[in-house]
Amino acid sequence: MNFDFSADQKELADHARRFLGESCTFDRLRDNMAGEEAYDRSLWQQMVELGWTAINIPEAQGGLGMGSLELCLLSEEVGRVLAPVPFFSTVCLGAHILNQLGQESLREQYLPPIAAGESVVAVALMPGLGQLEYADGCASGALGPVAWLGAADLLISRARDNHGTECLVLIDAKHATVARRNIDGVVLDGLVRHGQAEFSATPARLLASGDEARRLIELALAQAAILTAFEQLGGAQACCEMARDYSLERYTFGRVIGGYQAIKHKLADVQVEIELARSNAYYGAWALATDAAELARAAALARISATEAFTLAAEENLQVHGGIGYTWEANCHFYYQRARLLAINYGNADYWSQQLLAGLQAAH
Amino acid sequence: MSQNDTRAYLASARAWLAEQAPAYSGAARRGLSVEEDLALGRRWLHLKSEHGYAAITMPKIYGGGGGTEIEKVIFTNEENNYDLPTGYFGISLGMPVPMLLKYASEEVLRELVPPAIRGEQIWCQLFSEPAAGSDLAALTMRATPDGDGWRLNGQKLWTSWAQYSDWGVVVVRTDPTVPKHAGLTYFYVDMKSPGVEVRVIPKLAGESEINEVFFNDVFVPDAQRMGGVGGGFKVAMETLMIERYAVSDEAVGGISVEKFVDLAMRTRINGQPALADGEVRRLIADTVAERQGLRSIHRRAMAAIAAGTEPGPEGAIRKLLGARRRQQVSAVAMDLLGVDGVIMTEGAQPTEDFTESWIESPPLRIAGGSDEILRNTIAEKVLGLPQDHRPDKGIPFNKLS
Ligand SMILES: Cc1cc2nc3c(=O)[nH]c(=O)nc-3n(C[C@H](O)[C@H](O)[C@H](O)COP(=O)(O)OP(=O)(O)OC[C@H]3O[C@@H](n4cnc5c(N)ncnc54)[C@H](O)[C@@H]3O)c2cc1C
Repeated sequence: MNFDFSADQKELADHARRFLGESCTFDRLRDNMAGEEAYDRSLWQQMVELGWTAINIPEAQGGLGMGSLELCLLSEEVGRVLAPVPFFSTVCLGAHILNQLGQESLREQYLPPIAAGESVVAVALMPGLGQLEYADGCASGALGPVAWLGAADLLISRARDNHGTECLVLIDAKHATVARRNIDGVVLDGLVRHGQAEFSATPARLLASGDEARRLIELALAQAAILTAFEQLGGAQACCEMARDYSLERYTFGRVIGGYQAIKHKLADVQVEIELARSNAYYGAWALATDAAELARAAALARISATEAFTLAAEENLQVHGGIGYTWEANCHFYYQRARLLAINYGNADYWSQQLLAGLQAAH
Repeated sequence: MSQNDTRAYLASARAWLAEQAPAYSGAARRGLSVEEDLALGRRWLHLKSEHGYAAITMPKIYGGGGGTEIEKVIFTNEENNYDLPTGYFGISLGMPVPMLLKYASEEVLRELVPPAIRGEQIWCQLFSEPAAGSDLAALTMRATPDGDGWRLNGQKLWTSWAQYSDWGVVVVRTDPTVPKHAGLTYFYVDMKSPGVEVRVIPKLAGESEINEVFFNDVFVPDAQRMGGVGGGFKVAMETLMIERYAVSDEAVGGISVEKFVDLAMRTRINGQPALADGEVRRLIADTVAERQGLRSIHRRAMAAIAAGTEPGPEGAIRKLLGARRRQQVSAVAMDLLGVDGVIMTEGAQPTEDFTESWIESPPLRIAGGSDEILRNTIAEKVLGLPQDHRPDKGIPFNKLS
């Protein structure tokens, strides 16, 4: 496989980078963290106008009908600037899952509002986030912490029916029977607001159950892994550039610190991890776009490498900055926390290693 | 001190702590504001000073314990088993006050040392500046002669606890026409002097202890000079070395390996108990093996202290390994917690909360000698390898570009 993005796709990425570089500044992140709004609504609105919420939605439902490759590139750019918007859960996962549904009526009902930027989706797929019981069109139970659950219009969640069968349900997150709250106070990475909710006989639509639910969840997790890997890649790259720039500016003992081998080797190690992560993320993008048989394996590889790269890049970026790196005013902390959040969200390294090994064993 | 004496001292310290410490630690601190916690810390220090456990090695006439270095190490090790509000006084009693004992007059010591030992006053250390951290001698803050004293102008950065400090020790440039190490002088200053302005620097997370301190024409009497004019760098280095063997706790203020094992017992990896996972077991084994090795290094250093010789630069090993270990173990703990790791316990100490332990670990790899500087120290002082080329060597400070 010799995969690369097309010229059009690269242009989309360049444009996204320029737009986000100008509009999603670190000061804006600080404002967001200090403010009441769950996400940056005006940035979200601009993204809607650029068509980003419509990107993977078919034209018939008001979308642009593009594929996962565009999503990969946008995810990298969103990750680079840590945009505080529910892009990942709404577009990368929500729209993706709804798109896979057989029932056209569901697609007709729920996709156009997402494309138009009127519907924010929270998605709960990983086990360990609580449990929903589904029966007779209603769901009960508790979930959390789930990203953007407090701000979402819709929730797509894993559930179990009264026979214990796995299913996938869709819930109006604003329904009166949903008691939800944002997790405030001291949290890791306050830019991605997490919420908790209790559901008592909340009306729920059954999207799929049994084998079909498992297939959709598996596919969504592969999609989540690969797009998260791109987000991590963007973050890692930003850290590496920040550290390099700072190391060229900062003097100790009459020399720029970037001239000390200790710093050069440190940054070279980061760059090596990024190159590996990029290759594996591209492999994932190819597998996603071609619906390749190796999708599960590619997803695990992409995720494992990206977690390694972002973790190292974020920690060492802060280290290279010295004392200033630990302040609120410097920007290293945003990445330091995001790297850890993405390392534990949607399956940690243990989970993806297990997926990879299970695949290897099966092939053996 | 004989082995029996040591054992007896340990037993009585342990008993005293078991009786007194709970009222000042753990649950007693939960939910306190920083001001309340500091007040509790002052009361704890005061109580210790009445029983000879505050500033154990300092003379009794100033309120110290009049004890030995070994007693201090033994007591501090035991004290570290409780999370007591002692952090506010670590620098104060660890460096500036001991330096005062070396350099100040009897009269000054009688006035200034007792309130510091009782926790009524706090001392800070004003060394680092925006352009002088690892390379301390690059500092630019000036002192110019004025009558029987000096006028201080400039800025210090990262000064821990300056916002609560009554006094500070400061290194400033008195002669820019000589090479950078040669033009520095060391003073103690009243932090309440006119012209001193302290601003808290918000940190990545949690309440901040770090500050920037501005000096605007601050007058300091020459009597407050410590060491010779131009001898400041030597005194600064002495300050950094004076706590001959800093007694940090074994988890360098973070989560202990025992707490990590507890967590691994109640969490799962891919459906299996986390404690059964090979990688988790390996991490625990590595951490315990490292801790055991560090304990031996610690004991050797204690023996050196007892024999009256200086422990070697191996002390750097503890900080170098401990800081990274804390970051790593806390990160794996968060992996085990999964997404629940995003929620931190309000007001929890890094000794109790895994995420808190992780989030507050970066400065340990930076302050008081960064990982890279400590490696240089080990390479140069232990292995005798040459220093990196320093183009500013020997050049007058005001001729440096
Ligand atoms: C929480 C905290 C509390 C502090 N408290 C105090 C205090 O109370 N009083 C005080 O005076 N200071 C204090 N400091 C300052 C601390 O001593 C400095 O941060 C530290 O010396 C590093 O300096 P710097 O931040 O300027 O980083 P720099 O020296 O600029 O270092 C930046 C990076 O370059 C690397 N580097 C520098 N030189 C070399 C070299 N020769 N070879 C290889 N790598 C190199 C460093 O390791 C680091 O990664 C505190 C710092 C922190 C974070």
